[in-house]
Amino acid sequence: MKRRSAIRDLILIAGGITILPSFQNKPGKASLALKNMDISADQEKLLAEIASTIIPKTATPGAKELGSHLFALKMLDDCYEKEDQQIFLTGLKALDEVTKKRFQRSFMRCTPAQREKILLSVENKETFPPEVFSFYEIMKAKTLQGYMTSKYVVLNITKYEIIPSVPYNGYYRVKNLNVNGRQL
Amino acid sequence: MEDNYKGSVKERSFDAIVIGSGMSGGWAAKEFTEKGLKTLVLERGRDVKHIKDYPTANKFPYEFEHRGEMPLDIKKANPIINRCYAFREDAAHFFVKDSEHPYIEEKPFDWIRGYQVGGKSLMWAKATQRWSDFDYEGPARDGFAVDWPIREKDMAPWYSHVEKFAGIAGNRDGLKQLPDGEFLPAFPLNVVEDYFKKQLIQKYEHRHVISERVAHLSKPNPIHYEQGRAQCMSRNLCHRGCPLGGYFSSNSSTLPWAEKTGNMTLRPFSVVHSVIYDEQKGKATGVRVIDTNSKEVIEYYAKVIFVNAGALNSNLLLLNSTSHRFPNGLGNDNGLMGKFVAFHNYSARLSAEIDGFKEFTTIGRNPAGGGYMPRFRNLFKQETNFLRGYAAGFNAYRSSHSDTSGVGADLKKRLAKPEVGPWKIGSHMMGETIPKETNMVSLDQTRKDDFDMPLLKISVVFDENDEKMRQDYFDQFTEMLTNTGFKNIKTQTSSQNPGSDIHEMGGIRMGHDPKTSLLNKWNQLHVCKNVYVTDGACMTSTSTQNPSLTYMALTARAVDHAFAELKRGEL
Repeated sequence: MKRRSAIRDLILIAGGITILPSFQNKPGKASLALKNMDISADQEKLLAEIASTIIPKTATPGAKELGSHLFALKMLDDCYEKEDQQIFLTGLKALDEVTKKRFQRSFMRCTPAQREKILLSVENKETFPPEVFSFYEIMKAKTLQGYMTSKYVVLNITKYEIIPSVPYNGYYRVKNLNVNGRQL
Repeated sequence: MEDNYKGSVKERSFDAIVIGSGMSGGWAAKEFTEKGLKTLVLERGRDVKHIKDYPTANKFPYEFEHRGEMPLDIKKANPIINRCYAFREDAAHFFVKDSEHPYIEEKPFDWIRGYQVGGKSLMWAKATQRWSDFDYEGPARDGFAVDWPIREKDMAPWYSHVEKFAGIAGNRDGLKQLPDGEFLPAFPLNVVEDYFKKQLIQKYEHRHVISERVAHLSKPNPIHYEQGRAQCMSRNLCHRGCPLGGYFSSNSSTLPWAEKTGNMTLRPFSVVHSVIYDEQKGKATGVRVIDTNSKEVIEYYAKVIFVNAGALNSNLLLLNSTSHRFPNGLGNDNGLMGKFVAFHNYSARLSAEIDGFKEFTTIGRNPAGGGYMPRFRNLFKQETNFLRGYAAGFNAYRSSHSDTSGVGADLKKRLAKPEVGPWKIGSHMMGETIPKETNMVSLDQTRKDDFDMPLLKISVVFDENDEKMRQDYFDQFTEMLTNTGFKNIKTQTSSQNPGSDIHEMGGIRMGHDPKTSLLNKWNQLHVCKNVYVTDGACMTSTSTQNPSLTYMALTARAVDHAFAELKRGEL
């Protein structure tokens, strides 16, 4: 029973992406089925931590918990050019290398503060190999998209409704909006 | 005499045959079957049943694998349909892929098609405006194409007829250039749209912003409930198919209505190869159909045939209907069939911002999308160096925006609390194009599709008039927006091809004179009176209004005529 619910949870949190639980998969391979890219389990873990650094777990789930890194991989695999897929992987590797140079340890072994620092330096366009920027640009955009369109965020935070609970109103008072920009 | 699969001649004989089940074919089906005529409706694509066959209708954003985006391999394999704004993960299954049905682009033309029961009425944008005599008299006044054989007074009762049944939300705006109709309550303008509307009335003559008139059941009448439709709930997911029947489509409205009469036979997977002409009788006797599954050729017979295959396919079909009497296509004695094709010029849009109105925003969703500006250029008299004019969309919205810089808990917090940004507006031009003999479609002499139909060659281009009109739209809107306090005005020329407006029209135009037109004022072929063409192919000129409402009204009017002629033994 436990195993079954674990599988169900995995599928749930990834929100629409088919994930093979890793124990059903070859060791060393990523947990989701990709058509074009070859991703190792270690690369997947690294991407999960990068996603988690961009949007961490707080009182609510973060990007890793919601599978945004897997969404990023799915998008990259299906919707991007081969060159982008390659530069993404080269950039990922290069990011880990520049992290080692700066902190004398891999990204996986960095503290959360160090992880934030290195990503912010990339975002602030400090001196890095160009593929690092290419990687980060895609990774951040897709992590944000995956997070914002995840089932959890859509249902609990942005509260998208298939049928709006309010009729259209073109003269709505801003002061009546709640913190999420919705009607009080 | 026939095998069982095909059925006997008697089983293949009907009172009326309707070729096509989209916007206008659905109306022909409804009107004929309601009058008690046994009607065969032929559709080249698959069946799409209302509600049951809308697989994405109730999906949340996270249920789309790529959040709406089409995978790159599909985009690359289908460059033409990929340029259509609605070819996305939630509705792509309603659009024809490039490779499925090839055609020949002598000039770049994006032919956007929906081959299924309901056709493009499933995915249309639902804007529905009547034509006035400023439109019907356009060619005669300005000296292009040929005179329309009909006027507003001929059409008004038929517009009313279809509006009441389809359900059109709108205001009675009292504008001579955009006649009022039988309206359900309009979707209102918002604070900035209203502001622009009022400013224009003060500062200009004959320039109006009105609520876009749309085929949505803002407040259904009994006739709509009777169709099994319900109130539009402003989901704004229409192109997926609406399980409520909140907007008009053949699938939710005319076809189930026709079905209920017991007089309709709907046959999907049926490409019509040609209309059969009987030289002895001097009229059409039926159609040759290719079953797309078995590839078998089957003939069906009827007293009257309505051609509603979609503008360019109706051209293809009649050009392909050759006989000893009509070697160049059925009814094509003057050689003009396929010529004088026109479309709408959507090649310009713009955006702007305005300060103020900060205490207001919008909530909910507006199915009408905002405001509509009927044509004001060259309306009462010729006043520019180009012919005709343009309508425009005008919608205002308050953008909401999160600062996405940085990483970590702070970024996460900002994502959950978007800031309400300034008011912005968007507008797009919908320009009339002038039909020309050189903008045309024809049949390729050698290449054929999987069903042995010749490939259609399309040669349709923008012209200098279109470019001048686009510049005028930019100039006029920049001036109007500047004069009314908007700023940061950005114009954008869209490099889109003709066809992507999905308003292709003409080729089998109506007119008074058989020498210069193909159809008479009742949409009958001048020289083969029991064949009627009432889809976009019949259009003599395009005006600026979205055309579907006019196709519906022309169809209902033509069926009424055909029925009377049948009763009098004239067809």
